[in-house]
Amino acid sequence: MIRVRKPKALILLMICLFSAVFSLERSFGQQITPEKQEKSLQAESKPEKIIPSPKNIKERTALYVFIGWMWLAIFVLIFILRLKIKEADRLYRLKFFLKNKK
Amino acid sequence: MKLKHSLFTRRQFLNSLLGGWLAALVATFLYPVVKFIFPPTREPDKVVLPFSGFQDMGPNSVQNFSWGSKPGIIKKDDDGTYQAFVAVCTHLDCNVAYLPDRRKFFCACHEGWYDEDGRNIGGPPPSPLRRLTLVIEGGDLIIKREGVE
Amino acid sequence: MNLKEFRIGIQSWFEDRLGLSLITKFLRKKEVPQHRHTIWYYTGSAILLFFGIQVITGFMLVFYYKPTLEQANESIARMITDVPLGWIIRSVHSWSASFMIAIVFIHLFCVWLTKSYRKPRELTWMSGIFLLVLSLAFGFTGYLLPWDDLSLSATKVGTDIPRCIPVGGLWVTKFLRGGEDVTGDTLTRFFGFHVCILPVFIFILLALHIYLIQKQGMSLPLDAERKKEEVKVLPFWPNFVYREMVVWFLLLGILFTVAIFFPPSLDKEADLMAPAPEGVKPEWYFLFLFQTLKIVPARIFSVSGDTVAVLFMLVLGFLFFFLPLIDHKPAGKKGKFITLIAYAVILYAVVMTVWSLW
Repeated sequence: MIRVRKPKALILLMICLFSAVFSLERSFGQQITPEKQEKSLQAESKPEKIIPSPKNIKERTALYVFIGWMWLAIFVLIFILRLKIKEADRLYRLKFFLKNKK
Repeated sequence: MKLKHSLFTRRQFLNSLLGGWLAALVATFLYPVVKFIFPPTREPDKVVLPFSGFQDMGPNSVQNFSWGSKPGIIKKDDDGTYQAFVAVCTHLDCNVAYLPDRRKFFCACHEGWYDEDGRNIGGPPPSPLRRLTLVIEGGDLIIKREGVE
Repeated sequence: MNLKEFRIGIQSWFEDRLGLSLITKFLRKKEVPQHRHTIWYYTGSAILLFFGIQVITGFMLVFYYKPTLEQANESIARMITDVPLGWIIRSVHSWSASFMIAIVFIHLFCVWLTKSYRKPRELTWMSGIFLLVLSLAFGFTGYLLPWDDLSLSATKVGTDIPRCIPVGGLWVTKFLRGGEDVTGDTLTRFFGFHVCILPVFIFILLALHIYLIQKQGMSLPLDAERKKEEVKVLPFWPNFVYREMVVWFLLLGILFTVAIFFPPSLDKEADLMAPAPEGVKPEWYFLFLFQTLKIVPARIFSVSGDTVAVLFMLVLGFLFFFLPLIDHKPAGKKGKFITLIAYAVILYAVVMTVWSLW
């Protein structure tokens, strides 16, 4: 299990990761041309390429909230799991010592 | 009020935390899944048809139209007024037919009967045929869901 | 009766009838060795995670996908525009496939380099090779399903390759295509492979692979086994499982983030009569093979270059399948040479893949 020896470094890494992700917002934002626009321009023929993306600002916000909440839940779960791992390892070690004493 | 002993152990607390947050994460992923599996109903708010297709209807006669993915029925009464219904039986969703000689709507699946105004009068249908509001504006016949402006 | 007693009552009711405590007792006893290569033990469950996601998202996609020539592309277009959040489900399915195959390759090379296929784990390796082939088959068949120009051309090329094989090659092509050419029948056939035939085989092989791993236990690195060192162990349940869960959550987070920010697009419907579009290429995991076929000369000693290349690949595949029997003395000179070949293969695959993208 990788131990976090330098929490500050981890926080810096997280900040870099999230700024990289949010800088993608620009490319993401540019995709908010409604997908059906091409369909209405060419009534009979089908569109050349459909690039899926959220249709409006409400959907886009909902997606950011989804991703933010998902990562929050993941980090909290990892934090709890680390505690559980420490507990499980401690229990295992104790049994090991008990075995030796016997 | 100070308690002498804890209500739960540290292990129980940690397990509950883990379970709770895991449920929250699962619910997060389940939301798009549920939205995907249950798409919104495809019923339109209104349907506009050219009146010319209906003005030559005889009294006590019907004509079908598409109400989204459901069949709709337009009935011309003896006095020349028009009524619109969703031609789906309120019992178990079979399509109904109008029998002009008996002046009744009939559902063949389980022999459900409705009178000429769509009210359920015989057989298993629990409620009348769903009514739609009908307005003739200019050269158009506008059929709307009840309550839609 | 309180909740705890009720829970215990239900558990013992099932236990009396199913006897599943056999499995839980085994999992509690199972141990995972701790050494510098333990990190690679996580790849197996990561593959299972992505496979599970593929099955679930696959179930959902099949609700809306229509596997006919006329409706395939349109049904996907509808799914990613009309159906709420359909584009996310499709994107997750597409990305999860790539992630799964990437981890399959990592898993494969880890096993090869640590020589975990040595006795008694030869069958585990062989079932693993079948699983690799099936995973690639899933990717290949799934690639055609959107029925756009690129996937049609890639499938035409891919299903034409067996034709190079002298005896029976044509029949393989006809079997894959459902005829001489790629048509609507090919699409329906590939759909059948993708959702029906391949899942059956992969479940059987997966069950065998996992059973063999449980029966034989986790393999040790060559050094530790040779020196008969006292290797530290960790119980599988709950210690190792909690660690695996951390890896799963991180992978899930990365998958969903990538799927939402980089969803795959849908090109226009394929035209069977149109010329191939520019930039025809298969999925990334076939690029190194694709590039190899590109650089092979048209004729080698008056035999078609493609035939030589494909036969050579088949022979290599055959040797690869029987690697545990060939490398039966992994600590010796031959073993070290085979390790060098592993590094050479990785280098070759990476170089060819990068070259094909240029």
